Amino acid sequence: MVLEMAEKTKNQPLYVPDIATITETEDLTPTEKKFVIRFDDKEKREQFTFLPGQFLEVTVFGIGEAPFSIPSSPNQKGSFELCVRNIGSVSGAMHKLMVGAKIGIRGPFGKGYFPYEKMKGNNVVIIAGGLGLAPVRSLIKLILEDRKSYKGLTLIYGCVEPNLLLYKDEVQELKKRDDIDVMLTVDRPDENWNESVGVCTNLIPGLKYLPEDTYAVVCGPPIMYRFVMIELEEKKYKPENIFLDMERRMECGVGKCNHCHIGDKLCCVDGPIFSLWEIKNLKEAL
Amino acid sequence: MLYKVLDKNNYKDFLSGLIKNYNVIGPKKINKVLHDFLPVKNFDEIDLGYVKTTLPPAKKILFPSEEGLISYTTNNIKIEPLNESEEKILFGINAWDLNGMNFLDRIFTTDFIDDNYVEKREKLIVIGMDTTPSDTNFATEMGSEYANSGFDLFMTDIGSKYFIRVATPKGTELLSKFAKVKEAAAADFNAYDKFKEAYQSKFKVSADVSNFHENFEVIYGKNELWDRLSKNCFSCGSCNLVCPTCFCFNVKDDMKIDLETGIKSREWDSCMIPDYGLVAGGHNFRPNRANRLKQRYRCKLKTFVDKFGTNSCIGCGRCVETCLAKINIYEDINAIKEEVSL
Repeated sequence: MVLEMAEKTKNQPLYVPDIATITETEDLTPTEKKFVIRFDDKEKREQFTFLPGQFLEVTVFGIGEAPFSIPSSPNQKGSFELCVRNIGSVSGAMHKLMVGAKIGIRGPFGKGYFPYEKMKGNNVVIIAGGLGLAPVRSLIKLILEDRKSYKGLTLIYGCVEPNLLLYKDEVQELKKRDDIDVMLTVDRPDENWNESVGVCTNLIPGLKYLPEDTYAVVCGPPIMYRFVMIELEEKKYKPENIFLDMERRMECGVGKCNHCHIGDKLCCVDGPIFSLWEIKNLKEAL
Repeated sequence: MLYKVLDKNNYKDFLSGLIKNYNVIGPKKINKVLHDFLPVKNFDEIDLGYVKTTLPPAKKILFPSEEGLISYTTNNIKIEPLNESEEKILFGINAWDLNGMNFLDRIFTTDFIDDNYVEKREKLIVIGMDTTPSDTNFATEMGSEYANSGFDLFMTDIGSKYFIRVATPKGTELLSKFAKVKEAAAADFNAYDKFKEAYQSKFKVSADVSNFHENFEVIYGKNELWDRLSKNCFSCGSCNLVCPTCFCFNVKDDMKIDLETGIKSREWDSCMIPDYGLVAGGHNFRPNRANRLKQRYRCKLKTFVDKFGTNSCIGCGRCVETCLAKINIYEDINAIKEEVSL
């Protein structure tokens, strides 16, 4: 499937985006905004699909292009979502765009994705820090849409403060379900907070899944990975079953500009999702 | 491969014929010390005596320092791909630079085909020429002193004649149209072999890259070593700009002054500049000079050994000559070797 997609991309000029329209926006936190995007071209709109963990290059015309992962379900037809933190020049410009504004989309890119097919019949632990919830949300949705194919499902989600939690209502809904175990933690609680306090890492030792049938997925700020890895290895989870989202400065998305390389791996082409086994000895990765 | 010889008396006619009928880009002297690959209008402008390497390297023909990728209008958005290419002859590129170009060919065709590069490459007719290496050249250590592919014609001075290797039908066509060549005879092959012997001995610099690839694992964590090697680096990026195999670029969008038309373009970037590894939000994956120099050596001497089975450094010595801080890649290679054997 991935190869087919690469072939398809080969036939169109690499740097020409497809035009899309913002159809809906919603403030998720003071700094993060949700966008619903629809391709203008009918054929593209109907064809568009992606694998969980893949990313898009989004152009704000006149400002620039930046990579964003796709937080909506790959099964969602007709439109997809983005979750954008107002932090750089492109993301800042995105935040100023209104419903109806046109943007450019290239992608989806990345041969490395969350292997949701292989995860079937196994437990899945998803560990997300801060904005890291956005890329893994597509995986959570995909699993929940086919829940019976998987064993246990746990989401560990941590961020700095309660008001910075993304998709608050959705996370609260997930908490009510009995087929997903949601553990939340913040560094700085407020008076209404009655969940855990501290980093996500603290919640890993409590996991009851065994190494034989468990996959783990990690996405968060760079600093998080090293500590999460130590805890996951302590649990004896297999490195080939641990998947990490390695995001670097992916400017071209097609393995040419070289900004996102870590040794001989390019995050944009070989990733952005890597198994721990692949990058364990890859210097500079962790 | 076909083998021909061209009598030196006919050399001028051959080149004049090419210049008359094609856009020819060749080495021209631009000041006391530098040569550059520039359009050539008549035979006398060409100067093949370039011991000092040409700056910037010939990669600029295929991969310009700044190049438009798409243009668009912001009213009723319309997008047009930009791609300029035309048939040209690149004359006088030497073996190691050509090997650098062959390396770029792999980069721009691996995983995805980059049309902006590939169309220019397909239309480029390459006539190579063996030249004398500079004092800082270590192409022999990198295995790039001979050109085996990537050219249409490759010429070698063997005394009163040029020995010409013909690699493509286009090369045959050019020779039949513009040059009075003969089949190479046994004596010519002999002369070519003699040239190769003498040529090898012209490379004076040694850089022991054997096992660098494995040694890198050992030296990666030796911060003191990297701090020492990089302590004088100005993070200016000159080494990248003169390198025939550096291919990193930035993608940027600019609006014209009418605020209605925009252009997305790419421009050369440098891994030695601090903001190369900087991402939105302020995290820098390579915040200091030691990180960046280590990364450069890794890219030149390890990454592509893992990926393509070849070093991406071709040993031309341009970075050694250009570096303001006198950072010297072959001395550092040897220093690293020494560090490992301690």
